[in-house]
Amino acid sequence: MPHPLTKVLVANRGEIAVRIIRACREMNLRTVAVYSECDRTALHVRYADEAYAIGPNAPRESYLRIDKLIDVARRSGADAVHPGYGFLAENAGFARACRDAGVTFIGPSPESIDLMGSKTAARAEAIAAGVPVVPGTKEPLGPDVPDADVARIAEQVGYPILIKAVAGGGGKGMRTVTRADDLPGAVRAARSEALSSFGDPAIYVERRIARPRHIEIQLLGDQHGTVVPFVERECSIQRRHQKVVEESPSAVVTPALRRRMADAAAAVARRVGYHNAGTIEFLLDDSGEFFFLEMNTRLQVEHPITELVTATDLVHWQIRIARGERLDLDPERMLAPVGHAIECRIYAEDPDRDFLPSPGLVTALRAPAGPGIRRDDGGAVAGVVVPVFYDPLIAKLAAWAETRPMAIARMARALDEYDVRGIKTTIPFFRWLLADEAFLAGRIDTTFIDHALAARNGRPFLEVPEEAEHIAAVAAAVQAFTRQAAMAAPPAAPDSRWQRAARTEGLR
Amino acid sequence: MTTSAEKLADLERRAELGGGEERLKRHRDAGKLTARERMEALFDPGTFEELDKLVTHRCLDFGMQDQLVPGDGVVSGHGKVDGRQVYAFAQDFTVFGGSLSETNAAKICKVMDMAMRMGAPIVGLNDSGGARIQEGVMSLGGYADIFLRNTLASGVVPQISAIMGPCAGGAVYSPAITDFNIMVKGTSYMFVTGPDVIRTVTHEDVTKEDLGGAMTHNERSGVAHFAVESDRECIALIRELLGFLPGNNLDDAPLVPTADPRDREDAALDALVPAAPYQPYDMLDLIHAIADDGYFLEVHRHYAPNLVVGFARMGGRSVGIVANQPAHLAGTLDIDASVKGARFVRFCDAFNIPLVTLEDVPGFLPGTVQEFGGIIRHGAKLLYAFAEATVPKVTVITRKAYGGAYCVMASKHIRTDFNYAWPTAEIAVMGPEGAVNILYRRDLDGAPDAAPRRAERTAEFREAFANPYVAASRGFIDEVIRPRQTRRKIISALDACSGKRASNPPKKHGNIPL
Repeated sequence: MPHPLTKVLVANRGEIAVRIIRACREMNLRTVAVYSECDRTALHVRYADEAYAIGPNAPRESYLRIDKLIDVARRSGADAVHPGYGFLAENAGFARACRDAGVTFIGPSPESIDLMGSKTAARAEAIAAGVPVVPGTKEPLGPDVPDADVARIAEQVGYPILIKAVAGGGGKGMRTVTRADDLPGAVRAARSEALSSFGDPAIYVERRIARPRHIEIQLLGDQHGTVVPFVERECSIQRRHQKVVEESPSAVVTPALRRRMADAAAAVARRVGYHNAGTIEFLLDDSGEFFFLEMNTRLQVEHPITELVTATDLVHWQIRIARGERLDLDPERMLAPVGHAIECRIYAEDPDRDFLPSPGLVTALRAPAGPGIRRDDGGAVAGVVVPVFYDPLIAKLAAWAETRPMAIARMARALDEYDVRGIKTTIPFFRWLLADEAFLAGRIDTTFIDHALAARNGRPFLEVPEEAEHIAAVAAAVQAFTRQAAMAAPPAAPDSRWQRAARTEGLR
Repeated sequence: MTTSAEKLADLERRAELGGGEERLKRHRDAGKLTARERMEALFDPGTFEELDKLVTHRCLDFGMQDQLVPGDGVVSGHGKVDGRQVYAFAQDFTVFGGSLSETNAAKICKVMDMAMRMGAPIVGLNDSGGARIQEGVMSLGGYADIFLRNTLASGVVPQISAIMGPCAGGAVYSPAITDFNIMVKGTSYMFVTGPDVIRTVTHEDVTKEDLGGAMTHNERSGVAHFAVESDRECIALIRELLGFLPGNNLDDAPLVPTADPRDREDAALDALVPAAPYQPYDMLDLIHAIADDGYFLEVHRHYAPNLVVGFARMGGRSVGIVANQPAHLAGTLDIDASVKGARFVRFCDAFNIPLVTLEDVPGFLPGTVQEFGGIIRHGAKLLYAFAEATVPKVTVITRKAYGGAYCVMASKHIRTDFNYAWPTAEIAVMGPEGAVNILYRRDLDGAPDAAPRRAERTAEFREAFANPYVAASRGFIDEVIRPRQTRRKIISALDACSGKRASNPPKKHGNIPL
């Protein structure tokens, strides 16, 4: 039964908060922003109708405080909460707290979040839905499972294997083992890392797919049982298991394979009664076989490229679904991409120092625009400080064109227009990547960056030709000279009688 | 028979050899520059002119008559620093341990006298074991001659001391009188009585480093203004510091052109003051945002960090900045901060360096330690210094300006030329909570609903008085400015003050509460 929403609390910051606020405005909904101390003047605060301070800079004390967020919802009279991605987006406790407070959570049910948030439970659901999974254990291997048992399981799964933390993510607690001899050490290391990072030493074992591609299926489900899968996104360009470039469609997925993957994804979602936006991630090996990896029960960072090739607005749909509306998208159209889209995540990171975060003051910024370019940013402009406390994503840059080569060319053009000073960004890295032969040919997998970095052998991404240095030096000299000429005259004429008198009078 | 040219060459060679190859090597191995290397490094290349290179001592006792070193353990002379005339001397530890003799004191006095005559700064590079005991009272007389000149030169020409080795006993009083002391970490120490005497008299066990090392005097005693890692850094700092200072008390500090626009606005300043009144922020962020090219030479960085003092340039002009630091002790004024500030303010006033005060002060630090230590007397020094200063004075209140501390921090009432406040300023006798506790004591004490009523009254008070507008309506604040405009407002105020003519009543000297 559709129910109206009037005011949405956006429980996030940065570009995604701005993205959601924009969608709300387009749908004539009032918006409430929340902010930590350093975000007081951030763009999402300016764009919202109301904004509330929720505490100090550390996320633990602000954006992760369920009690404060619920309190803001209550005080502002918000009747819905959009969690964005990251922070509390996949926290079932938050979804539940919203429900308990009588506020609509724009996302799946807490039960779905709970179920699909556990890697082993999600895997079991995938198997039950008839979807292939990477061979491996189904049950978590707690700290009491002896090494001998783990070794036996590893034998069955077949080397090489991956050991992963049950509660994990982001590559923490993950170990590759190629020989049985290395197993005990790797298990020990993975457990201790899992314990220190997630407070849970439970691990599981799965086969390591050689050079897999990361392919994911976006889907929407309404509260009436309809699930619509979308054309795939390829996110194989990853660094430390973090996506940095995404594109849609994939260069290697055929329409037939697309349909098989979409059907598999929809089957999993239907089986668990999933509603709202979600994404099912698969690994695709070089023989065209795919395996269920995990489900993300939220809006993805890379959702814009799907929007570009399917002409839909996923955030609009999230809100409509939360209102109880029926999904009336044409499923065939969602699987027939128009053109090609690619996204680069522009991070405040120094690619020449192992992608070390580079927060700080943006001294100048000129952003790209023009045909086929979509930029989502959190308001980074000259004079703004990129805070050290959060994910240093300063913008998502997406390019759409009729074909993959043209989309890449357009992205390269946009990156050339992008001018950010004061902080280091990943832009030089993308400029290099988009000119790489293997990337252009679509020969990529999740190990691409590691291999590329190793092959570059420390050669910097940001190379300044000597000529440019000379030109800069001349420009600086000219500027200094003209500035000097424009400097004010000395305070008073040196022979001012008045000042001379003032000086001598001043002596006692 | 040697020719006269050979004779001179030989004397010069001996003078330059100081205490001999072996001692020079030991000195260098300890990571130190020799006295002559220090002088060469201090001055622009090729400009150092040495004086009294051939002076020798006159001591005839203890076999000293056979040990004559031309120059007698001190290298003195003059030269240019960034093209400006400077006089200097460097004690040579390799010659009789750098000890002070009658003649070597006379050399120091000579360059000091010349500096005073010419109106040029004096730099002393100290590295001495103390008095030359063989000379007895002649050596003591030498010290006193130097102290007298330090005193007479005070406020006439800038005096900078570097401690680049030992400096003990009476010798410490020369650097103590000068305007700035720089100590090299690890190799320098200063004390009146050393660890041995202390052990005998008070039975305290203390090392030289703990007693009088660079960080002891930078952090605890406040005797030193700067701590540096090496001799090279020390010399570089002296050159840097001299660039902010005039040659004497009649001249202006050099104007240094900058490419930094005078009207540069910094939007980040609009959000510098946190929303919560008790939350700290770093006043250095403001200083860096308004100074030319963001450059600030902080003085006394390690001492009383609740008050920041130092030099910057604004629109090319040298200024002395005095700023409360909310990030330490909430920016309160205590004894150390008052004394630190007072000395800096008086230095700037003596040398025509305009004062820029950045204020966020909740008051004087409460406590018996402060009261028994004489915060009344010491706090009065800062008040006295600001009040007597006749250089251009500009004050910007960023947040709190409470009570007596408001009066002290270069308020309108003590002859400040331009007083600005940010919209976040709270100029009041005290903070809202304290005021409500006094004003409504009878109403609130013991009342059953005291807490909500107190909160309500506090909110009322904050709304009505914790702002810059009451003060602005009285003219105590000349203008309430937007934080981002701070730089250009200060520069334009300094322009407006460039012909300032103000003086104090004729007197022998004032009686600052020492």
